[in-house]
Amino acid sequence: MAAVGRVAGGARVSRPRRRTGLLLALPAILIFVLLFLAPLGTLVANSFRTQTGAFTLGNYARFLGDPFYRDVLWNTLRVAALTTAGCLLIGYPFALYLRGRSARVRNWLALLLLSPLLISMVIRAYGWLVVLGPQGPVAAVIRWFGLTPPQMLYNDTAVLIGMVHVMLAYMVLPLMGSLDRIDPTLVPAAKGLGASGWTCFWRITLPLSAPGMLAGAMIVFSLTASSFVTPAILGGPKVKLMPYFVYTQATATLDWPYAAAIGFVLVVVTTGLLLGYSRLLRRGRGEVVFA
Amino acid sequence: MTATTPAGTQPRRGRLRLDGVRKVLGGKEVVSAVDLETEPGEFLTLLGPSGCGKTTTLNMIAGHLTADGGLIEVDGRDITAIPPHRRSMGMVFQSYALFPHMTVADNVAFGLRMRKAGAAERRRRVADVLETVGLDGMAGRHPRQLSGGQQQRAALARALVIQPDLLLLDEPFSNLDAQLRVRLRDEVAALQRRIGTTAILVTHDQEEALAVSDRIAVMAGGVIHQLGRPQEVYLRPATDFVAQFIGEVNALDGVATGGGSCEVAGQRVRATPVGDPPAEGARARVYVRPEVVRVGAGTDTEGEGLRGTVRQTRFLGSRIRCVVATSAGEVTAALPYDARVPREGEEVTCSWRPSDASLAARG
Repeated sequence: MAAVGRVAGGARVSRPRRRTGLLLALPAILIFVLLFLAPLGTLVANSFRTQTGAFTLGNYARFLGDPFYRDVLWNTLRVAALTTAGCLLIGYPFALYLRGRSARVRNWLALLLLSPLLISMVIRAYGWLVVLGPQGPVAAVIRWFGLTPPQMLYNDTAVLIGMVHVMLAYMVLPLMGSLDRIDPTLVPAAKGLGASGWTCFWRITLPLSAPGMLAGAMIVFSLTASSFVTPAILGGPKVKLMPYFVYTQATATLDWPYAAAIGFVLVVVTTGLLLGYSRLLRRGRGEVVFA
Repeated sequence: MTATTPAGTQPRRGRLRLDGVRKVLGGKEVVSAVDLETEPGEFLTLLGPSGCGKTTTLNMIAGHLTADGGLIEVDGRDITAIPPHRRSMGMVFQSYALFPHMTVADNVAFGLRMRKAGAAERRRRVADVLETVGLDGMAGRHPRQLSGGQQQRAALARALVIQPDLLLLDEPFSNLDAQLRVRLRDEVAALQRRIGTTAILVTHDQEEALAVSDRIAVMAGGVIHQLGRPQEVYLRPATDFVAQFIGEVNALDGVATGGGSCEVAGQRVRATPVGDPPAEGARARVYVRPEVVRVGAGTDTEGEGLRGTVRQTRFLGSRIRCVVATSAGEVTAALPYDARVPREGEEVTCSWRPSDASLAARG
């Protein structure tokens, strides 16, 4: 039976084999449907209800009509974009450095890169509270230079520092994969045709690592836009981000439908931005990015 | 050992000279004191097994590796320390190294862009070279939309369009299937002779080397064992390695008797000395290819040749293989299909033209 598929040049897969393939994917599909799609459906449904359960568009009208919440949305996207940019600026040179190192060096540095993820988010954020706090080492160094340390906590900068620290690995890992897939003879070929090292980077390495940049940026952007713990601890109530307001609406105000609407707006806007971004890059390259 | 350049052509650029070039990689000397000089327009092949230093030598010529010693010159200009992007080498890589995010036209135009050629000139020269390699109409395709042979042509076009001092070919045919390989290597050789750019080919395929080269440098262990025309290298190998690496060989041990003569198991044979002839009385070795051995009836040798008894004859299609047991050991002859086939057990004499065999000193 298995031969049936192979006779057709491997283009078609026989039915028993297709069934086996589905079986292999089943656990992942189940988890995705039960733990993501179903709750998302509930969330969307709730967001169109009043507190008493009647259908309404009021939650969205309230969100979109309120300049305060529009500002929160804008700030959330801004922090996510800045975190992404920060990770890219710090992560790309690091990924370039890792390319061509020995396996030993790569393994150690990759472990170092992943180490922030091994510590609980709360502990890590409290660590930054100490480091950036008025009695912390950074403030001490600034004072040693005879200057007055600025407020480094409970603002966007503190959130950015904390987020870049966590997110860096999500940027570097796809970048490393993307850089590794570049044929190592392309740069010598370009050099032989007269390209300087800098030109080789701009014309060969950078465009060919676009898939890794795109993947890394999408992961970092969406995780940052929806992150709660780190911004809550390092930013406090002054840094207004969407997940924080979902939390307060759900736990303090107990307005679950409105919390659902805020959450869903974030999902839609983030997804829309990522889709547009990926299409933009794809058109620029004239080829499939995730290949 | 003069190079054969195509007749009727004016003097050209592209004279490469290597003088004592060395390279150490990972604590091991992979190229030791390589000397080499090409004629302009020559097709020279570095032939050898993997790890013999041929690719390392090519990469030093291209500038991707820096020589640890010695001198590399092109047309009398010392380029040993010049970085690759300031040399003028057209290189075709084994993987072709086409830029996957660019069209064929953009790949080919890359070198022209780096040389700040204007858009109109770029278009014209790209179109010209694509026609030369037979890729007209493919300009807008991406490399992944091309077959292996087409990718190879695109890589060749990209290397040629910059009108390089040297065309460097790093195993460019090894990723093609057998038929296409033969066709493309003949095409490339014909194109090279037409354009007249000096070409350096690196290959481990001896047939390929014999078929396309003006001269072959046979390399092993980081040194050149022999440099000569294909016929020389094939018929008159200088060392055991060259003899064994390129085809089958009869190696007969004897004592030199002066000039091109050698006494093998009490019988006199003649061959052409490679380099200085071994001194009279010195231990020597004669290399004879099976194709040049004639098997004559009877043992009337007129004082030359090796007498023996036919042990085995086998019809192999294009040739008849005949093994003769002589007092100097077995001698294998590959006779043409229309030769007189000796019977097994017959008394015969093996002989050859002295110019078709080599005589070398034996350590």
